[in-house]
Amino acid sequence: MSDADNPATDAHEHHHHHHEGPGYVTPQAAIEESEPEEVAYVIGLYVGTDVDAPDFLGVVDVDPDSSTYGEVIDRVEMPNRGDELHHFGWNACSSSCHVEGLERQHLIVPGQRSSRLHVVDTKDRRNPELVKVIEPEEVFEHDLSAPHTVHCIPDGKILISMLGDRDGELPGGFLELNDDFEVEGRWDAPGEIEMNYDYWYQPRHNVMISTEWAAPKTYYPGFDLEDVEAGKYGRKLHVWDWENRTVEQTIDLGEEGMIPLEVRFLHSPVSTHGFVGAALSSNVFHFHREDGGEWRADKVIDVEPREHDGWDMPVPGLVTDLLVSMDDRYLFFSNWLHGDVRMYDVSDPANPRLADRIWAGGHFGPRHPIEGERAVHGGPQMLQLSLDGERLYWTTSLYSTWDEQFYPEEGEEGSVMLKADVNPRKGTMELDRDFLVDFGDMPAGPARAHEIRWPDGDCTSDVWL
Amino acid sequence: METYRITLEWNDGRTESIKSEPDETVIEAAERAGVALPFGCLTGACATCTARLLDGRIEHRREPRALKPRHREDGYVLACVAEPRSDCRLRVGSDVHGELVSNPWR
Ligand code: FES
Repeated sequence: MSDADNPATDAHEHHHHHHEGPGYVTPQAAIEESEPEEVAYVIGLYVGTDVDAPDFLGVVDVDPDSSTYGEVIDRVEMPNRGDELHHFGWNACSSSCHVEGLERQHLIVPGQRSSRLHVVDTKDRRNPELVKVIEPEEVFEHDLSAPHTVHCIPDGKILISMLGDRDGELPGGFLELNDDFEVEGRWDAPGEIEMNYDYWYQPRHNVMISTEWAAPKTYYPGFDLEDVEAGKYGRKLHVWDWENRTVEQTIDLGEEGMIPLEVRFLHSPVSTHGFVGAALSSNVFHFHREDGGEWRADKVIDVEPREHDGWDMPVPGLVTDLLVSMDDRYLFFSNWLHGDVRMYDVSDPANPRLADRIWAGGHFGPRHPIEGERAVHGGPQMLQLSLDGERLYWTTSLYSTWDEQFYPEEGEEGSVMLKADVNPRKGTMELDRDFLVDFGDMPAGPARAHEIRWPDGDCTSDVWL
Repeated sequence: METYRITLEWNDGRTESIKSEPDETVIEAAERAGVALPFGCLTGACATCTARLLDGRIEHRREPRALKPRHREDGYVLACVAEPRSDCRLRVGSDVHGELVSNPWR
């Protein structure tokens, strides 16, 4: 239990497991000690539509015993329009569990297009509150723009990957905030990397791995094959010395590793294994450190393109998000253009074994995966798994301009959030037919829905020291 | 510099007429008039605010980096950095930026 659960708890009474500060002491503790999630925080957005409203942070009731189960019960509206809220993260994670006085209570919510950074206080979990806004100009001062991944890092600091310079061109870099949510400055020395996207660090091995999308001005307007041919999209992994903030090795994934997006280490802090999804090539790579100390990455899952009536070219899958269960046993990924979410047994990470999959929406899945419920446009996209590994949730929007190209109906009717019940013992999933959150039904108009976070810990963000 | 009349036309037939102050962009003039136009970065990088110039002259305050040469030749402009230099007529709305790139596999 984190201190945020019980604000009245005196930190000195908190000595079980020698644990002070937020988070769980180990991934196993997160599995054993966590309660089933009751609320999910989910990004809702209007940017790029004619709906005259700002993007919002939605609070979704995921407690099956609640009368508002499956509904958006609260929305924290941002003060401006045009942000494209996208990914977001906590001020503190389990890597900070030795830091006294820190609470896992604030969400840092960046605007991908605006470069504005919002701080939301979730002390009241069902009614969070916007408490601070860092305006874009302050971010541009550090010659950075287009914030993406937010990770809490040790000492209460926050690190945000930034995809462009102040003009939306390359190179990107990293912005650091202090524990008062003030901009400390640029974390890395400019010149270490050109392109940026997602990153994950494993402090016990003094390593961070970052991935590549493209320059904001390249991906913002939409996906153009001309840009792919011109080499404007990324295909490299950068292996950093975490302490020294320098790139020690760069791995070119080649033609089969185009646009490496989400990168996830296994949760065990002793592991050097992890996975990265190459969106455009529709592959999953496994990476790890070899005995000699060098890192290597190998393609371990290949999603074949599929013929589709009415399309000139076979449809690539587009592996847009992936995550690893807290016990490091399963890998889940979304196959956004095809329309399935897959579950692989990765007990042997170099040899994933397909365990199960669910089809819902996309270009090949059922338009109405739940009979009698609204249509699902878009395919499975951002994923989040319960800490005990028994409930997998996902939303359907990727990025407003890219959605418009591949799923124009999603802008008109909004996204959905769906859920599968997972049986980790048997390695199976089943769509929960009682759960569909309709983001088409928001007061200002249909909204897209993107990343999902839990109050107490995330399979996609928590890092252990 | 002068003030100009900007006529905004949406694909569904709706039109609005607003006035720009000197040195004001189309987005700024619309915001002041309480007319909602889509936008994102406000720096000319994202194309969320793409409009098509049907009549009149505009100058981009900053380089419209989100537009490729072919788009600029086609008359697309970025409303967040576009300043009128005469009375203008513009096609606006969220569907305009969708014309810049299509589904490449279809
Ligand atoms: S709002 Fe981004 S280019 Fe105009």
